[in-house]
Amino acid sequence: MYMTIFRSMIVTSLRDRISLFYSILFPTALLIGLGLYFNSPEYRFNLLTGTVLLSMLFWSVQGTAFQVYQQRSRGVYKLLKVTPLSNLSFILNVTLARTVLGLIINGIILAIGMIAYGVSIPLTNLVILGFMLTLGTLCFTAMGFFVTNLASNEAQINMFSNLIYIPMLFGSEIFYSLHYAPQWIKTAGNLFPLTYLVQGVRVSVTDIGGVLPYIGSVTAFTVGLVFLAVLTFRFDGDQALLFRKYRKV
Amino acid sequence: MNERRILLKAEHLSKNYGSRTVVNQVRLQVHEGEILAVIGPNGAGKSTTIEMLLGLRRPDHGNITYWRQDYLSRIGVQLQATSFFPSLSCIENLRLFAAFYKTKLDIEKGRALLSLCGLQDAAATEASRLSGGQQKRLAIAIATVHNPELIFLDEPTSALDPRNRLEIHTVIRKLAEAGTAVVFTSHDMEEVQKLADRVTMISSGSIIAAGVPEELCEQYDVSHMNELYLKLTSKEVAVACI
Repeated sequence: MYMTIFRSMIVTSLRDRISLFYSILFPTALLIGLGLYFNSPEYRFNLLTGTVLLSMLFWSVQGTAFQVYQQRSRGVYKLLKVTPLSNLSFILNVTLARTVLGLIINGIILAIGMIAYGVSIPLTNLVILGFMLTLGTLCFTAMGFFVTNLASNEAQINMFSNLIYIPMLFGSEIFYSLHYAPQWIKTAGNLFPLTYLVQGVRVSVTDIGGVLPYIGSVTAFTVGLVFLAVLTFRFDGDQALLFRKYRKV
Repeated sequence: MNERRILLKAEHLSKNYGSRTVVNQVRLQVHEGEILAVIGPNGAGKSTTIEMLLGLRRPDHGNITYWRQDYLSRIGVQLQATSFFPSLSCIENLRLFAAFYKTKLDIEKGRALLSLCGLQDAAATEASRLSGGQQKRLAIAIATVHNPELIFLDEPTSALDPRNRLEIHTVIRKLAEAGTAVVFTSHDMEEVQKLADRVTMISSGSIIAAGVPEELCEQYDVSHMNELYLKLTSKEVAVACI
């Protein structure tokens, strides 16, 4: 039974062509384009990890947000409440399917970058990197659920996503160094999980010993975001954000 | 009819939103194999009543008793919004919903169900590409995927053309003939007269008439459910026309 649900969620996610474009084609084009322009090996490594994380952001935050919104507005969660299957089981299946696909997408982009730029990562480091990416996917998937809970329509999903994306992308070292950036930008970046994830992913490739603090930080953000996503989850668009009270008849 | 097993019994159901009472002391019973129509003007409290019966909204007063404790696995529901996964095909949707009801659906059974709902040629079609009438029929197929004993259909024929309505009437009849109790809401009194064994008419949250359509028409000295509806809800109709 759970296998059928998991497989269906995989199919549903794979048929979301826009998410696939932003998670695979767009990051790959960015990786190749910028990599050809900046040919320093150090930058190419940062570009590769940055592109993998950008793909993760698109897939896990916006991809999840649109999928969950569509299911909610279609009344799927409401209907689930009158079946023996709990909403929690269903949501865990959606999360699991998206996490598995997200990791496969990360793997594809990583492989393209490693082949194109001759980057090699030892197996032990790859395992730690995989763990870090799994944690990041879960963290951003929870963020995707939270964004859907905030949004009352599809346009608001973009609005809320951008509110989170802009400080996250500009406040982290995903594509460039913040060494000369004003302190307030660094402080703003520290309020979001991407900063720790970027550092954690890079350290897991270069220095496994230093990865633990980043695992701790991203785990703390994941727990916090899962809590927020559960607290604000709406089975039905007519429900209020907190306590799930109905706003209208 | 009363000798049949009672599947659902609701007593003194009430629901308030702030100071507004939307459902007031509603009582109803559903017997096995019967077709019960819940009718009334827009905003009368039909959908809220159905949602309370399903446990989607909590009543402020009253109680609801089902014929068995694990009734969720034996009831089917079609909500006003056509609840399915738009990027999955019809057969994939059926399989997924069968899994929600913890049953397994083989291809043959899936095709038979789609055939019953007039969707035999659309098995591999993505649900988002179906017409409005086909989507309603898919929602009904989904509601019956686990052979329920009781099925709720919330306005199953709203916004459909006459041919699609007719096809859904056929599906409802076939379900009832197979022993499934059907509770449906509707604004179409022709449909109600044709399909329903019993009718519960709600207005301003309260039941204003209940019984067998022919007996109700006789009791109120009218020849058709349409006239009965207009007679008993004249105030609401006048307000709606303004």
